[in-house]
Amino acid sequence: MSRLNRDVYIAIVLLLPCGVFFAATFNIREIDYGILTPSAWPRIILVALSILSLVYLVQSLRREAPEETVEPFSLKGTIAKYRNPLWCYGLFLLFLLTLDYLGMLIGGVLFVFCLLTAIGGVSKRNLIVHALIAIIMVGAMWALFTYALGVIFPQGEIITNL
Amino acid sequence: MLFDNIAAAFHELFVVETIFLMMVGVVAGLIAGGVPGFTIAMAVVLTLPFTFGMDAVQGLAVMMGVFVGGLSGGLMSGILTGIPGTPSSVATTFDGFPMARAGRPGFALGLGVWSSFFGGIISAVLLVTLAPQLARIGLEFQQWDYFSLVLFALTITASLSGENLVKGLIAGGLGLLVATVGEDEINGVARFHFGNEALKQGFGFLPVLIGLFAFSQLLSDLQDRVKARQSLAEGGGVAVKIEHRKAAVAVLRRWANLLRSSLIGVFTGILPAAGSSISNILAYDQAKKASKEPEKFGTGYEDGIIAPESANNATAGGALITMMALGIPGDIVTAVMLGALLIHDVIPSPTFITETPVLAYSLFLAFFVANFMMLALQSYTLRLFVLVTRVRMYILASIILAYCAIGVFALSNIAFDIWTLFWFGILGYLMRIFGFPLAPMILGVVLGRIAEQWLARSLARSEDLGYFFTSPWSLFFLILAAFSIFFSKYQADRGRKSWTLVYPAVFMISLSLPAFMMGGPVRIGLGILLIAMGIRSLYKHHRNGWKIDPTKSDAPQLREG
Repeated sequence: MSRLNRDVYIAIVLLLPCGVFFAATFNIREIDYGILTPSAWPRIILVALSILSLVYLVQSLRREAPEETVEPFSLKGTIAKYRNPLWCYGLFLLFLLTLDYLGMLIGGVLFVFCLLTAIGGVSKRNLIVHALIAIIMVGAMWALFTYALGVIFPQGEIITNL
Repeated sequence: MLFDNIAAAFHELFVVETIFLMMVGVVAGLIAGGVPGFTIAMAVVLTLPFTFGMDAVQGLAVMMGVFVGGLSGGLMSGILTGIPGTPSSVATTFDGFPMARAGRPGFALGLGVWSSFFGGIISAVLLVTLAPQLARIGLEFQQWDYFSLVLFALTITASLSGENLVKGLIAGGLGLLVATVGEDEINGVARFHFGNEALKQGFGFLPVLIGLFAFSQLLSDLQDRVKARQSLAEGGGVAVKIEHRKAAVAVLRRWANLLRSSLIGVFTGILPAAGSSISNILAYDQAKKASKEPEKFGTGYEDGIIAPESANNATAGGALITMMALGIPGDIVTAVMLGALLIHDVIPSPTFITETPVLAYSLFLAFFVANFMMLALQSYTLRLFVLVTRVRMYILASIILAYCAIGVFALSNIAFDIWTLFWFGILGYLMRIFGFPLAPMILGVVLGRIAEQWLARSLARSEDLGYFFTSPWSLFFLILAAFSIFFSKYQADRGRKSWTLVYPAVFMISLSLPAFMMGGPVRIGLGILLIAMGIRSLYKHHRNGWKIDPTKSDAPQLREG
C-alpha cells in the first residue's frame, strides 16, 4: 500500500512557501524603535504554519492511501473532470491579459460570451442567446457603475484609438 | 441616553434613499438565499462593491438587508423544491417540503416567513439589550485580552468549520499570513512584496474575500457539467399565495417552540464561528425532543418548520452581538460586515457602541427594520424567485463572474485588484477541493492586522509575556482557545472514548480560575458554581464506573456544513 496520498503532497507544497516566506522575512527592513519589529509577527505566523504543516504531513503519512488515489493519474481524466473551472480560469486570465487592449466593456462582453458558449455549447440559437445575454448584462453593469457610481473603467486601446 | 441614540439612529436611517436601497438589498438577499448553490455570505460579499461609495450607515444598512433577506430566502426553495437555498435552511426542508407536497405550500411558506420574522425580532430585541452589556464587560479588556480573544476566535473557527482541525488551523494561519503582505500598519514597512510595486500596498481585503469565497463557490457550482446546464431548481417551484394570517396565528400558538428555537439561534450566533447552518439543525433537533408528537416530525409538521426558520434568523442577531460588542465576527457574514466597517474606518471593539452610538444604533435599527421588510417583500419576491430558478446555472455564474471583476475594480480603480481576485479565486477553489475550510482563512485575513496591533500594544506596555496568563480575561480566552482546539476531537470521540468523560469537567474547573482572578462576588460565585458543576460531572461518571454511553455519539454535531 502506497504511503503517499494526496494530503502528503499538499503538506509538502505547504511547507515550500513557508520556507520561501521565512527567508523573505530577512529582507524586511528592520527599524530601531518599537518592541515588535516588522518581521516578528510574520515569523510567528510562519513558525506556527510550518509546525502545523509538519503535523499535517505526519498525519497524512500515518494514514493509508485511500483506494482512489492508488488509481493511475490520467491527465485526460483530470481535464475532463475540471473542464468547466478550467474554461473559467483560462478565459478569465485571457480577459485580464487583454484588459489594457480591449477595456472593461468589450473585454467583459467577450469574456461572458466565450464562457457561456464554452460551457453551454455551440449552436446557432445558443450563439445568439449568449451574445444577447453578454451584451445586455455586462453593458448594464458597466453603465450602472460608470454613470450611477462614477467609476472610470479601463477603456482599452481599441476604443481610445477610435 | 438609549432613546437619544435610537432617535439619532432613526433620523440617520429613515432617509428615502437608504430605505429604498435597503429594500433592494432585502429582495436581493431573498433571491440569493433562495437560489441553491448561492450562500448568504456570497450575497453579502457581492453587495460590498455597491456599498463602497455609500456612507457607513447606508452601506451597512443595505448589507443588513441582504443578510436578513438571505436568511429567509432559503426557505422558498427548501419548501417549494426540497432543495435548501442555503445551509441555513437545511432543516426547513425536512417538514416544509412534505407539507408543500401534501398540497399546503402556501401555509408552509407562511409558517417559514412568520417564524423567520418572529425569530429575527426576538434576536433584534436581545441584540439591543445584550450588546451594550457585553460591550461594558469588554471595556475591562486590556491589550493582552484582545490578542487572546482574537486567538480564541481563530481556534474555535478552525475547530468548528471542518472535519480536520489541523486543516482549519492551517487555513487560519494562511489568512493571517496573507494579512501581513504589504505595508505594516505599525511601522509603515513593506513586507513580502518581492520587488512588486503593487504588492507593497498589500492585498485589498475585498478582492481577497470575493476571490476566496464567491469566485471559488461559482467554480464549484459549475464543476458538474450536467448540473451546470440545468436550471437552478430543475422542475422549478411555482408561485403560490402565502397564507399569512393562518400561519401567523399558528406560529404564535407554538410560542414555546418559537422562543426556544430563537434563543438557540441567538446563543449559537454569539459563539464565534457557529452560524445559522448549525443553529437550524440544533433547533430542529431540540424541537423534536421537546415535542409530544415527535413521530410527526418529517411528515410536514408545523413545529418542524417553525424551529429551524426562527433559529436561523435569530442567529444573525447573536452574531451581530459578538461583532458589535467585542469586534469578533460570529460567522463569515459578520466577518464581511466587520471588513465593511474597517473600510469605512470604523473599528468595532467594546468602545464601538459608546464611541459611535449613532452608527451602532443605526445597525441595531437596520436589523430590526430589515425583518419587517423581509416580511412585507417575501410574497412579491416569490414570483421573482420562480423566474430566477428557470435560469440555467452556467448563465447566472458567468454573469456573476463578470460582475465580480467589475465590482472589484470599482473598489479602488486598480487592475491589480482583479488579479488578486483571480489568484485568490484559484486558491479558494483548490482549498475547497482539498477539504480546507474557508471560514478560518477569511477570519485570519480580517483579524490578522488587528491581532498584530494588539500584540504590538501589549509588548509596548510590557515585554513580560506572563501578562497573557496573569490577566484574567486573557487567561479566560486562552483556556477557551485551548479547549476549542480539542473540541472537534471531543465531538468525534464522544460516546466512544473514556477521555471525553472528563473533558467537560476539566473545562469547567479550568474556567473557574480566571473567574476567581477577576474578583467580585458575582464572578467568584460563578467560579464556585463552575467547580461544583465540574465535580458533579466527575462524581456522576465515577458512580457509573466510567462507563461510556454510545448513544451520546448520535447527538447532533456542532460543525459548519
